[in-house]
Amino acid sequence: MNPVIQTRQITKTFGSNGTAVHALRGIDLDVAKGEFLALIGPSGSGKSTLMAILGCLDRPTSGTYALDGEEVQSLSGRELAAIRNRKIGFVFQSYNLLPKASVARNVELPLLYAGVARKERRERALELLDQVGIPEKAAKLPGELSGGQKQRVSIARALAASPALLLADEPTGALDSKTGAEILELFGHLNQQGNTVVLVTHDLGIAAQAQRRVVLSDGLVASKEE
Amino acid sequence: MSRRLFRERMNEAWLEIRENLGRASLQSLGIMLGVASVLGGFSITDSFKKRSEQLYVKMGGLDKLNVQTSPVATEGSPTAMRAANLGLRQQDREDSAELKPGEVQGVSMVRSVRARVRSAQADQERQVLGIGGDHLAMEGYSVAQGRSLSTQDVESAAPVALLGSSAATDFFPNGDALGSILRIGNTPVQIVGVLEERYFVFSKENPRNQFWRRNRIIAVPSSLVQRRLQGDVHSRLDRITYRIPRIDAMPDFISELKSILKPNHRMEEDFRLDDVQSRIRKRNNNGEAYNLIFVLSGVLALLGGGLVNVNIQLASLKERVKEIGVRMALGAPGNEIFKSFMTEALLLTSLGGLVGLGAGVIFSWAITTILGVPLAMAFSSFMWAYLLAVVFGFAFALYPAWRASKLSPMEALHYE
Repeated sequence: MNPVIQTRQITKTFGSNGTAVHALRGIDLDVAKGEFLALIGPSGSGKSTLMAILGCLDRPTSGTYALDGEEVQSLSGRELAAIRNRKIGFVFQSYNLLPKASVARNVELPLLYAGVARKERRERALELLDQVGIPEKAAKLPGELSGGQKQRVSIARALAASPALLLADEPTGALDSKTGAEILELFGHLNQQGNTVVLVTHDLGIAAQAQRRVVLSDGLVASKEE
Repeated sequence: MSRRLFRERMNEAWLEIRENLGRASLQSLGIMLGVASVLGGFSITDSFKKRSEQLYVKMGGLDKLNVQTSPVATEGSPTAMRAANLGLRQQDREDSAELKPGEVQGVSMVRSVRARVRSAQADQERQVLGIGGDHLAMEGYSVAQGRSLSTQDVESAAPVALLGSSAATDFFPNGDALGSILRIGNTPVQIVGVLEERYFVFSKENPRNQFWRRNRIIAVPSSLVQRRLQGDVHSRLDRITYRIPRIDAMPDFISELKSILKPNHRMEEDFRLDDVQSRIRKRNNNGEAYNLIFVLSGVLALLGGGLVNVNIQLASLKERVKEIGVRMALGAPGNEIFKSFMTEALLLTSLGGLVGLGAGVIFSWAITTILGVPLAMAFSSFMWAYLLAVVFGFAFALYPAWRASKLSPMEALHYE
């Protein structure tokens, strides 16, 4: 079976020649299906850059990246958008919910871009909100929710298109420790159900919750812990 | 699928507009003013045109060809040959009687004379109109009391007369004109009919009765003027008028008429043909020029509004970069972002355009009311005004929408 993530010698360089910044300098990373991986590293380690490439928001300067068996390093912007839509579920530190759309509509959004019919979308959204434990909030606006609830909405949204990969960027960074623990618990639960989770964090305590940790330093994988 | 997405885009666009009503109305203000100005301009010229047409109908229609005498020499003294010409005569009318009988719906003759006109109550120097043929009908007169002039009257040069409404009160202030005797020069004529008063005020700017002169008419048979009042053995005429309703028939008729008239006039053109309809048409082209001016001012308003719109769009784009980033991360391709921006702009333009049409109607109504002309609006004016607005709205939305669609998802997502 294909790994969900397989990168070979990924580099990313910003700027050119004299002022070039080498954010990534050859990353080999494999994440098997069903894994719960924590990507750790201090700021400046290239963590965010790697996360953007893994999330198909950006392309590597060189190297190959196969996501769920499909090579994506040289796809067009339009193709990448389709990959993001079908294969990746993002969870952000600051939730990034659309403030003017209802919770249910926020959850539906990836399905909208996938062209799913309205009725099906709504059913799926309600199902997902139930799964993340806030079925009663469907009609609310994001502004009416607590931080933990917002993050649950964003997790539901990430799950909407049944992606191959859940990519979470400091998902507990804006939450108090108790709520953060609950969210991590939810991720653990989702992982047990078979979802592949990559969690990007600088917090070793949070990383400890994952099955496996990869530490990034200075654009390279510093250590892998199985 | 694309139709579904279209509906979704409409929904979101509507939401966006509703949530930012202030910004949205500012954005569509230029469109509104542009539409209102184009529609208003069109309507004002339309209203004046319509009013003119009403006047022409009341005047007895425009579908006429006038043949009038004209001076034989424009400078210097005429040659003996020219001076000997008799001008337009009854004979010309009779020679042209056979010409295109299918097209000619009426013919009228006029021979007028200035004369001293007396009744028991008044004594004035007046123009007396000798008329023949279908003159009254072709000029839009109708008889209020008594009868009209008959063919018999014209053939026999009967000493009878018709008075216009104000002529009747001038000479018979007691209202007993019908049946009374009026002396024209030394010829006594009997009043056999009084004509209906005619009234038409074009607008408040021009409040005079357009027909005041026609109400002063003193009409007698043309033969009476020729034989009794002038003793003219040649039966000269001032004017012959042909009514030809089919415009296409006019040029042929004119050339054939000329070839009939010229031999009668020793090959001199001492007559002038005047196609009334084409003359009025040319004059009405001024209206088109005004329309152009209104369209231009509308276009300027739209241009100004469009540029303001671009600025507002670009400013609001900054507020929405993050949202665009989120949408892109969730799988919206650039062209989807472009389409949603365009949808929003077009919805806004359409709504603004509708409001503009409403404003244009009010504007046109106000202006025409002030000017005292009945409001006439053509459907095509609405179409043009709206079309113009939509085209401008679309054109000016392109750049901001393109900018939005070209954002990098990565940078948009991390924009603060």
